[in-house]
Amino acid sequence: MDGNILDAARFVGAGLAMIGAAGAGVGIGLSVQGALTGMARNPDTYGNLLTNMILGVAFSESIAIYCLVIAFLMLFKVV
Amino acid sequence: MDTQKRTPWRRWIVLVLMIAGFILGGIYVPVQPEITVAAEKLLEEPIAENFLGLGPLYLVNTIPTLAVTIVLLLVLAFAANRSLKKSQKTDLVPTGVGNAMEAILEMLYNLTETSAGTKWAKAIFPWFATIMIYVLFANLLKLIPGFESIGVLHHAHGEGHTIAELGGNWANILPEKVEEGGYILAPFFRGISVDLNFTLSLALISFFAIQVIGVRSQGIGYFSKFFNTKRMFKVPFFGAMDFLVGLLEIISEFAKILSFTFRLFGNMFAGVVLVAVVASLLGKISILPSMIFMFELFVGVIQAFVFGMLTMVFMAMATQGHGDEEHADH
Repeated sequence: MDGNILDAARFVGAGLAMIGAAGAGVGIGLSVQGALTGMARNPDTYGNLLTNMILGVAFSESIAIYCLVIAFLMLFKVV
Repeated sequence: MDTQKRTPWRRWIVLVLMIAGFILGGIYVPVQPEITVAAEKLLEEPIAENFLGLGPLYLVNTIPTLAVTIVLLLVLAFAANRSLKKSQKTDLVPTGVGNAMEAILEMLYNLTETSAGTKWAKAIFPWFATIMIYVLFANLLKLIPGFESIGVLHHAHGEGHTIAELGGNWANILPEKVEEGGYILAPFFRGISVDLNFTLSLALISFFAIQVIGVRSQGIGYFSKFFNTKRMFKVPFFGAMDFLVGLLEIISEFAKILSFTFRLFGNMFAGVVLVAVVASLLGKISILPSMIFMFELFVGVIQAFVFGMLTMVFMAMATQGHGDEEHADH
């Protein structure tokens, strides 16, 4: 076994940073669930609900993107 | 039957291409590319030593892609313009490119009207449509074969790949790695949305446009959202709280730039990494990259939509102001 302990730390850190994506996953799931329930109850609101759902998903997703950015920063030695 | 049965031969092209990719992947083994966050330099030397007093300017590989994107958009605009002009002479029914653009723009305009109201739809729509079509082109152009795979070879400073000469000035890069004297590839084209400069500048444009629309609609009162002193003297405790909330609003306003930038960049960059890893993961034979490309198509369209849509919604929010709270006071 050989290798750099700093490299190992970088990979572990990047992996830990991505834990935050779990929260975003839950958020996206909840918003899609809400939108789908609404659509099933009242199919007329399909278009309106879809655009608002995509917005909500984008907001939740941006949290996961922050985690991804932190992981990239560690992985590619930007800082 | 007098109508001849249509033979849908075109759909087989896709299957043939997928099989070709499957076989060619065995002959020319996919190489895991050097994944860098910054765009690669095509020329080692800077093209301008001291560009506008800011520092050296390098010819990076997103600049050719930017040129291609802008030329494509110009061609599309001219084609749509010509098609619409031609339709004006006859019966006002456009065909071909003009028809397609009219359908897309009408859909986008209706979307703007439903979420921003008829009054400000005319002011908001150009920003929304421009950003969306531009980002859509930027995201989809990345999927053309040859992007990020054909380029110039540089001598690697650290670990590099061996190459096989193909004749002329051309060479094929091999997956074997060597410690010294290897080469790394700097592709001619790299998708522009995989460059932080592009997404950051677009986010800044969108941010300033939001502020401008807000000031245009509410005058100087727009900034009372950030420095909220309306109730400061009437009800001191809640007034002070309003002021603090306003300061938080400033932070969230600037977080918009960050989230705009990194949402587009993160999604597109993750796509590049995914394709690279999947292509080199299974080695010789793999049909998976073409599947990932289909997913990339989906992600590119969704991200373009989200970028434009968020700009539009933030603009609509800026025009509306704090109408509800004023009513609550009375």
